[in-house]
Amino acid sequence: MADKIYRVNMSNLSFKIEEVPASWMGLGGRGLTSTIVAEEVDPECHPLGPNNKLVFAPGLLSGTSASNSGRNSCGAKSPLTGGIKESNVGGTSAAIMAKLGVKALIIEGLPKDAETFYQLHVTKDRVEFILVPELIGLDNYAVLEAMAAKYDKKVAVMSIGRIGEMRMNIANISVKDPGGKLRSHGRGGLGAVMGSKKIKCITVDAESYKEVTIENPDKFKEASKIFTKTLQENPISGQGLPAFGTNVLVNILNEAGGLPTHNFREGNWEHAEKICGETMAENIKARGGKTTHGCHAGCVIQCSQVYNDKDGNYLTSGFEYETIWALGAHLGIQDLDLIAKMDGLMDDLGVDSIETSVMLGLAVDAGILAYGDGARAYELLSHEIPTGTPLGRILGAGTHILGKAYGLVRVPTVKGQGIPAYEPRAVKGQGITYATTPMGADHTAGYAVATNILNSGGHIDPLKKEGQVELARNLQIASAAVDSTGMCIFVAFAALDDAKCLPSLIDMINARFGCALTIDDVMNLGKNILKKEHEFNIKAGFGKADDRLPEFMKYETLPPHNVTWDFTGEEIDAFWNF
Amino acid sequence: MRIILNAFSFLRDKLRLQGIAHIEAPMEITSPCDVHRLISLLGLKPEDVEAVFINRVIMPKETLLNENDRVALLPPGTPGSYRLMLGIKKV
Ligand code: SF4
Repeated sequence: MADKIYRVNMSNLSFKIEEVPASWMGLGGRGLTSTIVAEEVDPECHPLGPNNKLVFAPGLLSGTSASNSGRNSCGAKSPLTGGIKESNVGGTSAAIMAKLGVKALIIEGLPKDAETFYQLHVTKDRVEFILVPELIGLDNYAVLEAMAAKYDKKVAVMSIGRIGEMRMNIANISVKDPGGKLRSHGRGGLGAVMGSKKIKCITVDAESYKEVTIENPDKFKEASKIFTKTLQENPISGQGLPAFGTNVLVNILNEAGGLPTHNFREGNWEHAEKICGETMAENIKARGGKTTHGCHAGCVIQCSQVYNDKDGNYLTSGFEYETIWALGAHLGIQDLDLIAKMDGLMDDLGVDSIETSVMLGLAVDAGILAYGDGARAYELLSHEIPTGTPLGRILGAGTHILGKAYGLVRVPTVKGQGIPAYEPRAVKGQGITYATTPMGADHTAGYAVATNILNSGGHIDPLKKEGQVELARNLQIASAAVDSTGMCIFVAFAALDDAKCLPSLIDMINARFGCALTIDDVMNLGKNILKKEHEFNIKAGFGKADDRLPEFMKYETLPPHNVTWDFTGEEIDAFWNF
Repeated sequence: MRIILNAFSFLRDKLRLQGIAHIEAPMEITSPCDVHRLISLLGLKPEDVEAVFINRVIMPKETLLNENDRVALLPPGTPGSYRLMLGIKKV
């Protein structure tokens, strides 16, 4: 049966199951959420008001047996940035939605009764609206438990914790993973949008689905085999990531002078060794955790891990470089176990671990805590924010608002979103992506590489301007395309090194839908998505001045390379010439 | 001459097995020495090392080392876009 659009209206608690418009047929994931938001959401609407929509869309290949295809996209107008947002996640929701035939779930309107919260239960034929007063005030793991008691254990769950209920900008939407832990639609405050619509959780029935239909199963199988092999044979996706996770980057960025330290004052941290991927891997081995772990079934890279404390008790999983950096070098916590404990707590609370940790680092400049004071940071996170004290509300509004509330100048945000983990002055290509991506400072916006559209010009010098705008443009176009397939962005590593990777990915899309896309078609899709997102932001009131990094990076030199951010406005704006 | 050696990721186990210090470790080598020779002095295979930082900048393996240089060796495995952005892999 053909996929359908499931449309829910929270204003009158109604739903419709609609045919997919022809122009949305070839879209999935980010391509579809951004198209729906651009077509249906008034760019000038209040993100928490009745005219914003929350859209979920599995990728084009989600639900199939293709490796790493289990990513689900969520889009809306972001309360954090005021612009368009897409955030994708692993977990079990993408595959279950795709198998049920849900091409997109669009949630509109706001309920009249501000005191209630609902669970939406999506089945093949209907969406049920269930009042859940018993879940109000609970965080994510308690919601998972309640849903596990109510349904088949495979049921997909997307939920918010107390912070989402309070509509704070740092709130994310959490998704159950195959091991019963949590993954997040992390960035942009999408949990606040879900909270504004009074939805505590969305469950998707995992009992009545069918396998997705594949137009050409033999071709699909063949392409899928090649694709999986390119991932497994690649030294990054096949060995580096499984062994050390993304946290392998601590030592590399530190050595490059690009590890933002003490709120972007230096590019190295003397204690990097205490939090690096190598130390993390040693701890995991010694304590009986797992260095390899997938965020969804079918991941063959397994960059995730299970990190235990000294006594072998679970602390966290999906322990990423960007969070470890922010609580480590940026905020100064040297104890990797405490960082892991905070990471696990952020999962349960349902907050973006990047935005929250960047904000806590800025709270040092605000005088709220001392650099390296992990105990106070834990108290802010576990008490002030989730109980919604006045200070907790200011912190929960994110890095940008905290900076404004305390009259700070050195505020590391672009379009209101905290800058992660890669110092723009020392890794200038990343700086261009932070400045220009419609998402606000987001490292995953420029992650994938399509070698066919890169001009071959030798090695990039990270400290110089040459070639950076073009590189960032190509990375963002390719990332937008990959984000639409349902693939995890880490398939990009094999795509860079192995000429067979990208063609086999496109062959799988063609075999799934019976179409004949070329690499150029897919890259054009990436271009169109980016342009659509950019246009939405312009209509929402964004201008060129919003495509800029914080001013202090222009006049403060960053040791050890003593570099500044030296791009002119015109040079940055040239990004959009495509 | 003396250099400061660092090695990351999988290289650490390889050097540990040989008892070679590799975290902020002073190392005596004879001059002239380029990175190719350093790799072989460390008992590593050329393909074990994808790139090298010399004084915090990625440099070609033909670079001759100088007294007090800070050297950091990377095996294959640096995630994709950062290999381009840091100049590890050619664009
Ligand atoms: S590589 Fe990591 S992020 Fe990607 S699907 Fe696997 S576990 Fe998830």
